[in-house]
Amino acid sequence: MSKTEEKRLAQAEIDESTYLDALENQTIYIFREAYRRFEDLAMLWSIGKDSTAMLWVARKAFFGHVPFPLVHIDTTKKHPVMIEFRDKIAKEWNLDLRTGTNEKALAEGMGPEKGRFECCTALKTNALQHLIDTQGYKGIFLGIRRDEEGSRAKERVFSPRDRNFQWNFKDQPPELWDQFNTAYGVDTHVRIHPILHWTEMDIWRYIKRERIPVCSLYFSNGTHRFRSLGCVPCNSPLESTATTVDEIVAELARTTTPERAGRAQDHEKAYMMQKLRSLGYM
Amino acid sequence: MSTPAPQQTMSTEPALRIVIVGHVDHGKSTLIGRLFYDTGAIPAERYAEIESTCRAQGRPFEFAYLMDALQEEREQNVTIETTQTRFSSKRRGYLIIDAPGHKEFMKNMVTGASEADAAILIVDGEEGVREQTKRHAYVLALLGISQVIVTVNKLDRLDFDRVRYDQVTSDTVRFLHSIGLNAKFLIPISARAGDNIVNRSQNTDWYHGPTILEALDALSPAALDSKRPARMPVQDVYKWDDTRRYVGRVESGTIKRGDKVRFLPSGHVSQVRSIDRWPISDLPLATAGACVGIILESEVYVEPGEVMALLHHEPAAAVEVHGSLFWMGRKPLSVGTRYGFKIGTADSVAEVVAIEERIDPSTLEVRERYAERLKESEVGRVILRLEKPVAADTFEVNPKLGRFVLVDEGVVRGGGIVRALSLEDGARARRIIRLDERLLVDPSGVLIDLRGEKGELEIVAGDKFLERTRAGERIALRFAGMRPFGAFVNWAYENFVPFSFRREKEGVWVSCGAPEFGSQSDQYLDGPGI
Repeated sequence: MSKTEEKRLAQAEIDESTYLDALENQTIYIFREAYRRFEDLAMLWSIGKDSTAMLWVARKAFFGHVPFPLVHIDTTKKHPVMIEFRDKIAKEWNLDLRTGTNEKALAEGMGPEKGRFECCTALKTNALQHLIDTQGYKGIFLGIRRDEEGSRAKERVFSPRDRNFQWNFKDQPPELWDQFNTAYGVDTHVRIHPILHWTEMDIWRYIKRERIPVCSLYFSNGTHRFRSLGCVPCNSPLESTATTVDEIVAELARTTTPERAGRAQDHEKAYMMQKLRSLGYM
Repeated sequence: MSTPAPQQTMSTEPALRIVIVGHVDHGKSTLIGRLFYDTGAIPAERYAEIESTCRAQGRPFEFAYLMDALQEEREQNVTIETTQTRFSSKRRGYLIIDAPGHKEFMKNMVTGASEADAAILIVDGEEGVREQTKRHAYVLALLGISQVIVTVNKLDRLDFDRVRYDQVTSDTVRFLHSIGLNAKFLIPISARAGDNIVNRSQNTDWYHGPTILEALDALSPAALDSKRPARMPVQDVYKWDDTRRYVGRVESGTIKRGDKVRFLPSGHVSQVRSIDRWPISDLPLATAGACVGIILESEVYVEPGEVMALLHHEPAAAVEVHGSLFWMGRKPLSVGTRYGFKIGTADSVAEVVAIEERIDPSTLEVRERYAERLKESEVGRVILRLEKPVAADTFEVNPKLGRFVLVDEGVVRGGGIVRALSLEDGARARRIIRLDERLLVDPSGVLIDLRGEKGELEIVAGDKFLERTRAGERIALRFAGMRPFGAFVNWAYENFVPFSFRREKEGVWVSCGAPEFGSQSDQYLDGPGI
């Protein structure tokens, strides 16, 4: 490698680091703002790469502590290795882990064969709503990103839900200069989105730099890997030979397939994701 | 039309954040769609989805649908919310913030534009400059966005008529000048047909400037405020691990281990023992943008919302704010009413003492002096009295601590910038003029023209600067009159700095540090006309 080439690569590394620092700083700022403004906070942890990376930044924001409970909405249909990964990390990082499951709907035989919209609403949205109602959470951290799909692109960082859990995306208050709207009425819980401004690529570059542990399903079994994790019946892997974080970053640089192509609920019918989300889906 | 090869950026340069503004139906979403299409940024799946929707509606491919991903928007064909999407050039990534054009969606436009590094102002070649063209440009000026590309769209409908293009650009540029904005580029385009977006048009042989993408590549990201005075608004105080950490984001300047600091408005003084950024517990310094925890030599009682600054370089503790405000509430802003007031991490309550001017943002005419109300989407100059003092700078000195929001019924309804501040004892905030040794590098001396400063001044100089001026190195200054000059005289007297002066019709001419007044080399003292 020539001297100039070496210099160029070294500079690129510094630039990337500065860039990731900027994303991380913004997320830390949002976490601290929420922690200052809300009494009863919880973080939704899907065990996926996004919320795991977000959890990592939370530890930075609070100097190694995570001063609120982690909530996992367990549909009981998740991949078993996700649950193993969850319990291992919860122990290592000393997390206050709580799970929410819609036992009633499961007892009545809810599953995707009854309709994906109905299943997501019952096992995810309703389970979350029940947990929020019973625990009295006022602020919920969610690891959604604007680049995931259209309706998430419209989100604010602090986004209120009314008593019926609805999201009024047509009349959102302005959010400027990091002066967030945190003083909503008591009926509402507020969704807080600390990594809204990150992209899928940013997340993987950050996971690489920080050496954050992620669930093994993201890595190729030789022919396939999962790019987005969900429930077993509605989650399909994509063809991939990427077995390391570096290889995933290289693969993403080439791909033209959207991240959530392997998530069946997004493609069931027109505007499905928007309808799910306006009812309170994540 | 062939589909270009997709390219996702591997560039490590941060994405440049662009906001696209302009009057409704002048082609904002179409421009974005075209940029995405021509750079290969539309994923195959989304492209197919939009194509099938359009086919079902029996219309040609609508680029605007790319941005307008929500159901309601498709039905109304108007962008409602600010959406962010990305594309890349060979140079770097872009984050496009689509700003809606409808009048009632002003708040979304402001939300989008407040995060932008640069703006594209799009004007319909047929319609020319319209109300929202001006209104949006005014908001850009108010938000401090100085990199603006002006583009004239729909020229395919005008046979790419150069005369019409020149007329529209000249109207636009004239308005921009009147609000203190300069267009970096003027570009003739057809967003629908793809002329001069990414590919150079065959229809504009009279135009030799850049395409939209080339112009974007020539812009630079908004600079971090590391050269401004050090400020860290305290976001919170954590008492964990037997340690008290004052946490916050350094908004400007640099804070170092060992620095003597003062908190405003409480006035508490301490010294930085360590800078904590878990898992690293002792950083030597933190610069603008960094979120850190500060551990002090002595524990002081500081509330969230106070500002930590270097001793003797503090912001003002203000009780009265004079500002320019844009109002986004459906209920008008009214004199005598109290609103939540937020600046940095501080909260207070502000009473509207006066609306000095109610301004029409599309004509810049003052609609009313000493108005009672400011209606939705109006702009005005206001005086606010604060219930408890907050630390603040003027926007000119430090934008991050010179902008505020007003809160009504729990949500942000107005945004403004600080023009002037009144301190607790009723005095106007003084403008601080810093003299440092960098000003002495020019052997022929340096001219500092302060004739624009009519109010109170405070002169602050570094030790090295004093040493060298006392040793005979020179600096020339100009003042408007006795009041600002008086501040200088006090400073020179207190610091044993020799100076000479001459009174002219245009103001006061000063040679500071000069061994002798009126020497041959005293080129800056030659009087007016230089």
